[in-house]
Formats: sequence, C-alpha cells, structure tokens
Amino acid sequence: MLTIGLTHYLVLAAILFCCGLYVMVTKRNAVGILIGVELVLNAAGVNFVALARYGPAAVDGQIATLFVIVLAAAEAAVAIAILVNYYRALVTIDADQGDQLRG
Amino acid sequence: MSKIELLLMVGVLVPLASFLLLALFGWRLGKPWAGWVAVGAMTLTTGLATAALWQWHHLDPAGRAAARSDPVVWAHLGSLSVTFGVNLDSLTLIMFFMVSFVSLWIFVFSVGYMAGHSDEIDGISKFHRFFTYLSLFCFSMLLLVIADSLLLLFIAWELVGLCSYLLIGYYFHKKSASDAAIKAFVTNRVGDFGFLIGLGLVVAYLGDLSLAGAAEKFHAQYVSWTTGAAAEAPLFARTFGGLSLATWMGMLLFCGAIGKSAQFPLHVWLPDAMEGPTPVSALIHAATMVAAGVYLTARIFVLLTPEAQFFVAVIGCITLTLAALVAIVQTDIKKVLAYSTISQLGYMILGLGVGAWIAALFHLLTHAFFKALMFLGSGQVIEGCHHEQDIRRMGGLARKMPVTAVTFLVGVLAIAGAGVPAVWLPHHVPVGLGGYFSKDEILAVAWHRVYGHPHGDHAEHSHEERADALDGVGMSVADNVAAHAVEGMPATAAQRKLPAWLFWIPVLMAYVTPFYMMRCWWLTFMGRPRDPHVYEHAHESPLMYVPLIVLAVGTVLSGYVLFRPMVADAAPTPFLTAAYDGSEAGSAARGVPIAHDAHAALATRVGLAFVVGFVLAWGVYRRGLELASRLASGLRPLHTLLVRKFYFDELYGALFVGGTMVLKSVLYAFDHVVVDGLVNLSAWLTERLSWFSGRLLDQGVVDGAVNGVGSGALSLGGLVRRPQVGRIRSYLLFAAGSLAAAVIWFAWVEARL
Repeated sequence: MLTIGLTHYLVLAAILFCCGLYVMVTKRNAVGILIGVELVLNAAGVNFVALARYGPAAVDGQIATLFVIVLAAAEAAVAIAILVNYYRALVTIDADQGDQLRG
Repeated sequence: MSKIELLLMVGVLVPLASFLLLALFGWRLGKPWAGWVAVGAMTLTTGLATAALWQWHHLDPAGRAAARSDPVVWAHLGSLSVTFGVNLDSLTLIMFFMVSFVSLWIFVFSVGYMAGHSDEIDGISKFHRFFTYLSLFCFSMLLLVIADSLLLLFIAWELVGLCSYLLIGYYFHKKSASDAAIKAFVTNRVGDFGFLIGLGLVVAYLGDLSLAGAAEKFHAQYVSWTTGAAAEAPLFARTFGGLSLATWMGMLLFCGAIGKSAQFPLHVWLPDAMEGPTPVSALIHAATMVAAGVYLTARIFVLLTPEAQFFVAVIGCITLTLAALVAIVQTDIKKVLAYSTISQLGYMILGLGVGAWIAALFHLLTHAFFKALMFLGSGQVIEGCHHEQDIRRMGGLARKMPVTAVTFLVGVLAIAGAGVPAVWLPHHVPVGLGGYFSKDEILAVAWHRVYGHPHGDHAEHSHEERADALDGVGMSVADNVAAHAVEGMPATAAQRKLPAWLFWIPVLMAYVTPFYMMRCWWLTFMGRPRDPHVYEHAHESPLMYVPLIVLAVGTVLSGYVLFRPMVADAAPTPFLTAAYDGSEAGSAARGVPIAHDAHAALATRVGLAFVVGFVLAWGVYRRGLELASRLASGLRPLHTLLVRKFYFDELYGALFVGGTMVLKSVLYAFDHVVVDGLVNLSAWLTERLSWFSGRLLDQGVVDGAVNGVGSGALSLGGLVRRPQVGRIRSYLLFAAGSLAAAVIWFAWVEARL
C-alpha cells in the first residue's frame, strides 16, 4: 500500500488551488468566480490541516484553518454584497460586462 | 538819443504799428478804412521826415555831429560786438523823406485803385491785406535807410524781400503771379548768398559790422598795407584768384545789390514782378526796394577797391544796355516801365562804379519820383481801359485821359533827360527836369574817368578839397597824404583810366531811352485808337489825379531843390577811390571836381539825345504800328532776340531749373535703387530670418519637442493603460499569473542559491 504522507495532502491542496484558480479566471458568471474563490480558500485550509497533522506545529495549523473558514465566510458575505450592488448597477452578473473603467 | 534820431525812429515804427493794426483788425475795418489807416500812418511818417529834415537843415556841422549818438550794443559774439543805431547823415534824411513821401502818394493812389478790384477770398473781403503788406514794406524800407550796421541793413533787406514776395504774389490764385513771386524771392536769395559771404569776410577781416566802424578799420588796414606792415592788413595782403580779399569783399557785398536791384545777371525777376498790382510795381519795383541795392552800394562805397568798383561799373553798364534794348520791343506797358527801371538802375550802378557817387544817388531820388509817376499813370491807363495792358491795343487815349497823358509825358521827359544845356542859356541857368541833371552828371563823370586830365593838377585840387572836407571829420591832411605817398602807388587810385566803352555805350543808350519811352507814350496816348472797344470805355478816375499831379510837380522840382545838395552833403571820402562831383556848377561840397570841359563835351553829344530819340520814335510810330512791324520783319533775328529778352529765361531755365531736374533724377535714381534696394534687402533678410526662427526653430524644433513630449506621453499612456481593461477576469488572470511567477521564482531560483 501507498503510505499517505504530507506530500499527498499538499498535492491535493495544490490541485484544489489550481482548480479554484482556473474557475476564478475563466468563469464569466460572478457567482462562479466566487465559487472559485471558495475553492482556493478551502485549498489553503487543507494545506493548513495537513501541515498541522504531519508538520512541526501541532495545533496552530488547525487554528489557522478555523481562521480561514471564518475569513472565507466573511469574505463571501462581502463578496455577495458587492455582487448584489453589481447586479443593481448593471442588471447582470456577467463579470465581463463590468468594464466601465476600461481606459 | 537826439531829437532828430527820435523823429526818425518814431517814423520807422509808425508803419510797423499800422502793419500790426491792420494785420490784427484790418478785416474789421474793411474797405476803404483799412486803406485810410495806412495813409494816415504814412502821412504821420512823412510829417516826421519833413520835421527831421527841417531840423537838420538848421544845424551846423558841429550840431550835426552832436546829433549822432552812439549805437546800442545788442550782443557780443566773441570779439564782435553787434550794434544797432541810426546812421544819421544827409543821405539818410533825404532817402527817408523820399521813401515816405513817394509811399504816401502811392498809398493814396492805391486806396482808389484797389477799391476797384474785388478782393474776396472765400467770401471774406481781404482789402486790408494789401495795406498790411504795404505798411510792413514801408517799415522795412525805412529801417533799411536808417540802419547804421550792415547786419541791421541785412535784416531790413530780407524783410523788404519778403514784402516784395507777398505783394508780387498778391493775386496768388493766379499761377503766373505766384510763380513770379517765387522767382523774385529766389533770384534775390542768390544775390543774398554773395552778400552773406561778403558779410562773413567783413566779420572775419574787419571785425566790425557797423558801417562807420568797418570803414575805419578798412582804412586802418589800408594804411598799414601801404606803409609796409602787411601782417596787419590781411585784406590787402592775401589774394584769391588774383584779386585781393578786399576786392572780393567789395564784390560779394555788391552781389546783394545785383540781386535786389535787378542787375545783370539777376535781372530776370523784375519784369515778371509786374504780375503784382500796379501800386506795388510803382512803390517797390521802381522807387524804393530796387533802390535799396543802389543805396547799399553807396554805403559800402568806401569799402570798394578800384577793381571792385570797376566790376560794379561793368555790371551797371551791361545791365543798362541789355534792358534798354529789350525795352524797345515790349508791348505791355508795365513791362516797358520794368525794363526801363532795370536800365535806370544800371545807370545808377554805373554811376557808382565810375565814382559819380553824388550823381548816382541824385539819379536814384529823381528816378523814384518820375518812375513812380509813370507807373501810377500806367495804372490809371490799365484801369481806364478795363485791364488792358497791351499798348498795341491802345492809342489816342490822350483825348480821354488828358491829366494822365500830361503827367506821364512829364515822366517821359524826365527819364529821357530832357533839358537845355546851361551853356546855351542866359546866365547859365539850366532848365531841365530831374533826369536831365542826374543822368548827365553820371555821364560827365564817366567822360572824365575816360578822357579827363591825368594825375597832375587834380592831385592838388583833390587834396585841398579833401583837406577842407576832412577837417570837419577830424582826420588830418597829413594822414591822408602820407597814406598815398608810396612808390608806385598813384596818389589817388581813382585816376586810373577807364576803358572808353564804359562811356560810349551809356551815351548810346541815352539815345535809346528816349526812343522807347516816347514809343510807349505815343502808342498809348497819341495817334488813332487801334482798338475801338478799348477806346470807347477809356476814362479817368478823378480820385487818382492828385498823386499823379503831386509826383509830376515833384519830378520837376527834384532837379532843382533839396535833393542834390542833401546828397552832396553826405558824399564820402574814400581812400582807395574817389567820389566825384560832376555837376555843371561844380558845387564841390564834398566831391572831387571833374574836368571843366566835361559838360561842354557832353552838351553836344548827350544833352540833346532826347530830341533825337523823340523824333525817331515819332517818326517810326506816328502812323501807328505798320512801319514798326515792317522793320521788325525785316530784322527778324534781331527782333526775336530782343523779344525773347536775350533768352535769359530760357538759359536759366535750362541751366538751373534743368540742372536741378537732372540732379533730381540722379538723386531719385539713387534713392530708388540704392536706398530702396537696401531697405528691400533688409526686409528680405528679415523675412528669411523670421522663417528660420519661426518656421524652422519655433514651429519645428520647439513645437516639435513639445508635441513630441505630448504624443510620447500619449503613447506611453496608451501603453500603460492596457492592463486597465476593466474586466474582472483579466485582473484575476494577472493576479494568478503573478502568483505563479512568484512561486516559480522562489521555488526554483531561490532553491538554486
């Protein structure tokens, strides 16, 4: 059997991160971008937990993960608020339509 | 200031006051009061002149010397002190009287004469203008007469010239009149140019502008030169062109007289001056202003060397001949009188040139009377014939204008020298009109200078005469004798003989003068009328009788009373030349007497010249103009020469006017090509420079730089704003990309180190 070590968790976090990044970058739907943001944040959380289990610091990682989750929630709330305002202004949630500041 | 001087000064200022009054208020006085104001002023002046004469007559020589006061010092210019004063001697007084008397009667005549001429300019009556100018003229002429300094004389001289200009150009709307005025002034100026140079010589070498002072210094220099001290006599020691500076000084001062008295070659202005109104011609161009030149020559007589005197005589001779010949063919009555004036002035100048000082000035005084008389008579004729001046259109006017005819005849007789020689009459009392005495005296002296006895007995006579005369003036005989007792120097340079033609030509002209004057008189007043229209309307104006009669009486009397004695009293005693007394009686008051047989010689040759002239004129013109025109066509070239006045106007026109035109063309070409070329060149250069500076530098470089900066900023901005796409996904992409780059950097690059 394959011994599941730190590396595997880190790789998993990296893959999650890349997926999240990909979703952030390619989605036109603003909600989709926010989903991508959640993915990235959760990837960071997995990273922290893995390092807490297998790394030097024992509990700090888990505490950091709790922070990440709270922050993600707060940030999601703010992002939804922005999105609501965005929708109010532009009557769409297409991120590409918000190019009024284009030079 | 003695009483006599005061009388004269007031007499000079009265016409000035009249001038100012008329200049300021004349327009209000109008016709005819403006004229009467001027007449009143002249009456006052004549009265003062008479009073001065009367007082002078009663003074003995000591009293007369006392009456002269010192001149007023006006300014000091370096070493020269300029003084003004009254030159009080008999000549001054009698000239003053003549000028004011003749002026007065001409003024009276003018009031009537000018009243008939419409004088409106722009609807405003300008009658007073005439009398304003005439009053200014009288002031200037009287000032000239009393001037004792060459400078004051010159000032008055110029003023007189100005008045002449104003009065000749009185009808300035007529181009011929304004041209004539300019011609007169410019010709005068040419003479004045010489005069000024002469004045410069006087200031430089004599250092004194007053007449008496200059004469004294001149004499002092002459004495030093004759006694060998040439260093103190630069006037005589230095020569220019072969003639001593003293001679040049005399000739140049005389140049002023050439201009003012219309002598050859500056005589051309006087005939044209007839464009002025007739009283102007009478006063200025016959009696007074032209006499100023003769007067000047008389005053500077003591400053003339024998060479200068000879020059004067030659000019006078040429002038009198030229004018007499031209007068023969003149058809305008005023032009005849103008040329006869030039001729008579030539006689006076000739007289001064041969040394007949007394005779010349005597002639001046008598001439003033008879010439003014004839001009006024011609004025009557012109008025009466309704402005007809051509004698070919007159004839038989004596029946219509008897008074004018008779008075004019008196003038003609006077100018012709009509008289009976004394030697033919019982008690040797001469009978004749003024001109007879004066003109004959000039010719007598001329004869003496040509044929008279040489050195010998006259030396004693002259020295004795002079001794008596000089005693009253305070110079000793010894001085005089010593001055002349130098080897090789004749005791009186005046003894030098003159060439014979200087006598014979004036004698010949003494036959011509009566001819042309009688021609003029006959054609105007006698015979059958040639133009019925003119004859019908001819009339006399009684208003203008009185001046004619007064002047006629004056002409008759002038030969006998007052004039000659007064002039003789003032005769100078020059040291280089001599002033002769050429009268028959030989009064020898101050002049050097002449040969006793002079008058006898003259009586046969000249005394009855007038008869010959008159008879000839009567013979040619008694049947009207036919004989004359046949003669003229027979002698066509000669006739044309005379009618064209010897082509002087054409010559001067080509020479001076033409020369000025050539100069004008040359200067214009220079101005056009060189000056304008330079200006255009500078304009072109400036244009190029501005192109360089503006188009090239300013627009090209500076604006290019500024714009370049702007467009650079623009492109840079364009470049820089590219990331600002406003699209969220692009921002995310960049952020992700940068993160990836940073990770790679840290992971691989840092790991390697």
